Amino acid sequence: MKELSRAQIRDLMGEVLKNQGKALPADDAADLREVGFRSLDFSELALRVEDATGEELNFDAPGLRRIATVGDVLDFLVELQRQ
Amino acid sequence: MSVETASPAPAQPAGADNRIVVDGAVLTWRDLPELTLPEPVAALAHSARYALAAARHHAVHGTELLLSTASRVDAVLREELRAAGFAVAELGPGTAGDGATPGARAAEPGRLWLLTSGSTGRPKRVGHTLESLTTVRGEQPARTWLCPYAPGTYAWWQVVTLSLTQPGQNLVVVEPDQLDDWPALAAEHGVDAASGTPTFWRRALHRDPAGLARVPLRQLTLGGEPVDQTILDRLREVFPTARISWIYASSEVGAAIVVHDGRAGFPVQWLDRAAPGRPTIGVRDGELVITSPYHGAGLDGPVRTGDRAQLVDDRVLITGRLDADEINVGGSKVSAGVVRDVLTANPQVAWARVTGRRAPLLGHMVVAEVVPIGAGTVLDEATLVRWCADQLPEYAVPRRIRVLTEIPVKETLKSDV
Repeated sequence: MKELSRAQIRDLMGEVLKNQGKALPADDAADLREVGFRSLDFSELALRVEDATGEELNFDAPGLRRIATVGDVLDFLVELQRQ
Repeated sequence: MSVETASPAPAQPAGADNRIVVDGAVLTWRDLPELTLPEPVAALAHSARYALAAARHHAVHGTELLLSTASRVDAVLREELRAAGFAVAELGPGTAGDGATPGARAAEPGRLWLLTSGSTGRPKRVGHTLESLTTVRGEQPARTWLCPYAPGTYAWWQVVTLSLTQPGQNLVVVEPDQLDDWPALAAEHGVDAASGTPTFWRRALHRDPAGLARVPLRQLTLGGEPVDQTILDRLREVFPTARISWIYASSEVGAAIVVHDGRAGFPVQWLDRAAPGRPTIGVRDGELVITSPYHGAGLDGPVRTGDRAQLVDDRVLITGRLDADEINVGGSKVSAGVVRDVLTANPQVAWARVTGRRAPLLGHMVVAEVVPIGAGTVLDEATLVRWCADQLPEYAVPRRIRVLTEIPVKETLKSDV
């Protein structure tokens, strides 16, 4: 299975935000609310990861967790690819 | 003294001398191959010519007939048809029905069966007669009709019964391998009336608009799929003086809605208006409900069509199948048809399909596939997303838009949009 690196997922996240007229800050600790990264954007990013890897992600696997920062999103999706 | 009289030849249908162009040959209904069909028969046509011959055979003899292309009937369906008492006959050069085993039950004279795609994906049979399939009556202007539909479908029978029953209604048949280049065939044979799905028309506009414009069309009809304003307008640009109509018809309820005013949808005043001999149209819980005199056997009374109907200003728009049209994005309901209409209204977009795709947090997201208007047109996903965002609520904006090079089409001339 092809797996995207954290940096590659970051690039995709930047594209999602750019399409919405927003910018992705360099700091992983940036708060998602301040960035304007919302549920629709998160879902789109997940679909982009799926399209890039050709694999469906299993979102039920890791259970619920708090996703509040850019870094949380990246960590979550990196981990999800390994489930 | 006794006098021997020959049995009179069976009466030919009124349109028997109409011109038919099929498989490169110009002939009339009378010139089609003579078939010897058992009854009741499931006739599986291997060519358009033999399908027409089966239709004429039914018109002359009233043979109980289920007609389909051979490719549509797989081994399982053949067995189902035999179990239902049909003789299964292959129709093509060298096999004109005479070798088939007789049917296993008494025939029902005059009965015609259509195979329609059931909700389970398996075709189901809907009973009609030549009478119930003939919805165009009264004197019509002489026309040469294009017939691009697969033999045995409801739309095919509509065009075929018109030519069979009305003098002056000629037919030019498009074989499956001619579908991409039908305008050249149509122009060569003077086709001035054509009926097709919106996908069929979009493909023609997409492939060769100049070639399409050379067809001397005076009547264009759209049906079989949701008809949006953009496709009507684009056809109007190419054919400014032709009559452009859209029709809502199905095997179950027959031809129920015909609109000639060049606008998508139909006037709200038509709802729940009962008139003798005409269908009554209603909307119940967002679903189109039709009571029609042209219904299939056993389908009298109100029929829930499974199609979604929406009231927008003074029109009722039919946007797509209820089971496929509604996309639930995090609890917000999105009509795929509405999003599709926004995409196809973009001047750079020739065709669009909108679906729901499983996504985290929201359950589903709206995604789309599009085909640009010409080979040289570059469609940018971000630009299309912005186009949609200007006209739709945020949750309805397709976030993933895949660009295809060709408009996909099935044997039914539909894209399953």
